[in-house]
Amino acid sequence: MKPEEIHYKINKIDRELLVLLQERMGLALRSKKFKESLSDPQQENDMLARAERLNLDLIKGTFTRRLLKAIIEETKRLQEEDRSLAAFQGEHGAYGEVAARQLVPEGAYIPCLEFIDVFRGVEEGYFDLGVVPVENSLEGAVTQVNDLLTTTALKVIGEVNVSVSHCLLATEATDYREIRQVFSHPQALAQCRNFLMRNKLEPRPYYDTAGAAKMLARENPRAAAAIASSLCADLYDLEIIKEGIEDGPSNSTRFLLLAREPHPDNGNKTSIIFAVSHEAGRLYAVLKLFADAQINLTRIASMPLRSDPGNYSFFLDFEGSDKNETVGAVLQEMEGLTKWMKYLGSYPAYKAVS
Amino acid sequence: MKNLKLVVRETIQSTVVNVSGIEVGKDFVVIAGPCSVESEKQILETARAVKAAGANMLRGGAFKPRTSPYSFQGMGIRGLKILEKAKQETGLPIVTEVVDPRDVSWVAEFADVLQIGTRNMQNFSLLKEVGNSGRPVLLKRGMYSTLEEWLNCAEYILSEGNPDVILCERGIRTFETYTRNTLDLSAVPAIKELSHLPIIIDPTHSTGRLSLIASMSMASVAAGADGIIVEVHSNPEEALCDAEQALTPDIFSKMMKRLRPLKSFLNNLPTD
Repeated sequence: MKPEEIHYKINKIDRELLVLLQERMGLALRSKKFKESLSDPQQENDMLARAERLNLDLIKGTFTRRLLKAIIEETKRLQEEDRSLAAFQGEHGAYGEVAARQLVPEGAYIPCLEFIDVFRGVEEGYFDLGVVPVENSLEGAVTQVNDLLTTTALKVIGEVNVSVSHCLLATEATDYREIRQVFSHPQALAQCRNFLMRNKLEPRPYYDTAGAAKMLARENPRAAAAIASSLCADLYDLEIIKEGIEDGPSNSTRFLLLAREPHPDNGNKTSIIFAVSHEAGRLYAVLKLFADAQINLTRIASMPLRSDPGNYSFFLDFEGSDKNETVGAVLQEMEGLTKWMKYLGSYPAYKAVS
Repeated sequence: MKNLKLVVRETIQSTVVNVSGIEVGKDFVVIAGPCSVESEKQILETARAVKAAGANMLRGGAFKPRTSPYSFQGMGIRGLKILEKAKQETGLPIVTEVVDPRDVSWVAEFADVLQIGTRNMQNFSLLKEVGNSGRPVLLKRGMYSTLEEWLNCAEYILSEGNPDVILCERGIRTFETYTRNTLDLSAVPAIKELSHLPIIIDPTHSTGRLSLIASMSMASVAAGADGIIVEVHSNPEEALCDAEQALTPDIFSKMMKRLRPLKSFLNNLPTD
């Protein structure tokens, strides 16, 4: 091994240590939701003793103890900070985390494998908040999430529009001229198809954009790059070769912030879901209420009802808070016209910062 | 001029190369900027200054073909990102050189016009690659090349399916040593006779002397060139290359104030 190669490997290990520590801290924060007392001296001592017994020739027992003690101290400090646990779907660096960072600036961001894990986790109190995508400006509704919204008891307390700007990322050691394959989520690959063709790059589907970035940083495969957010470049120490490589006009994804309790103040936007019976003019009668009351609808979408094939639920977002009298009156009248209705919450509408 | 098919003039119609709305071959186009990209500050300052003075495009090299292997070779892709930033801020399209066929598609992701330098004029694999890039090409004349050799190189690019070639006369080697090269101004009407492609002048590299640049720029207008490409540096003393021939934004601005009126005056002369 050449000196620069050794140096490179040491840097990589240092980085991985930090990434693993970040993962450990996340788990510790989650464990807080179960434990009554924060510190368990017995468990701590067992852990330290076990680690000391590990027979590593270069790592002395005393050093192990010192190191782990420091980590435990820091964990306790973090646990006492009492940050909101905001769950999102995907790996660290996913667009869900980009949204979570905007919606919950001082939070701890917890990655989840599936959307249902986000919903369940918040419902059962393991997380304080959940951040889920509802629709994308190019691809349309995120059906899984919309479906979960119809069944959950959670309330919507905020929203954010995240513009999806894809970046081509590679490790520092990779010469961009040698890149042949590009890993990413199939949707991201499809959105960058022309870019990939122009540069003769082979798309390689991966389960997640941020997962592809993480894999790149960990395994450093030859001649490979990933398509992911610029946040991933920071998190995984990757070089941004080119920003904004999507073919079409930039697309954006709307995320909702979910909590167990409704938003405390008057929001200025409200989301509801309803279903009407299969009779002529039913949907029209509902929409007419909004038209007559001069309430502006910002989204209307229909989804097949999983529990009742052949029937649909309608997602309605409109301007105004449910605490507003006009809105309140409309909602009340609606009850009589719908077969089923669900109030998701009133919350502050997203305002783009320029 | 046998073997030339696509570049030769057959009708009165001339090629107009559209670069983000700037029509090279129709308007008089001024491309200005430093020899090479050195820092974000240098590029942004220069871009703002040349834009204010009335330049139409920004030049700046990220990949430099230097005479000596020990000279500054350019910032590479980092330099391209800085140029992109300057474009976002000023709206000036980017003209930048490409020296390696493997870089062409990547440089094309950032640049609006790909420049082929004088030393690479006859680098045929590079010419074929830019012919497939989908970007307009600024083809500089080789410093030892005849017009026919030059036009053959343009023919390479056109034959790959890229009609957007801008020729650039940048001086040829003669026995004269006072000037860096000898600016062959007669190339302008000669090319206009032979080809339908637009031609611009590089008064910087052809003279290599600050004091001659303004005069030769005025002469380019008079000769009927479609534009000039000129080196401007926000702080020439700090330049990493060609420090002795870069105009300050101030001198450039003064020159521009004389250039445009001359062009209007010539436009109003009776044609024969």
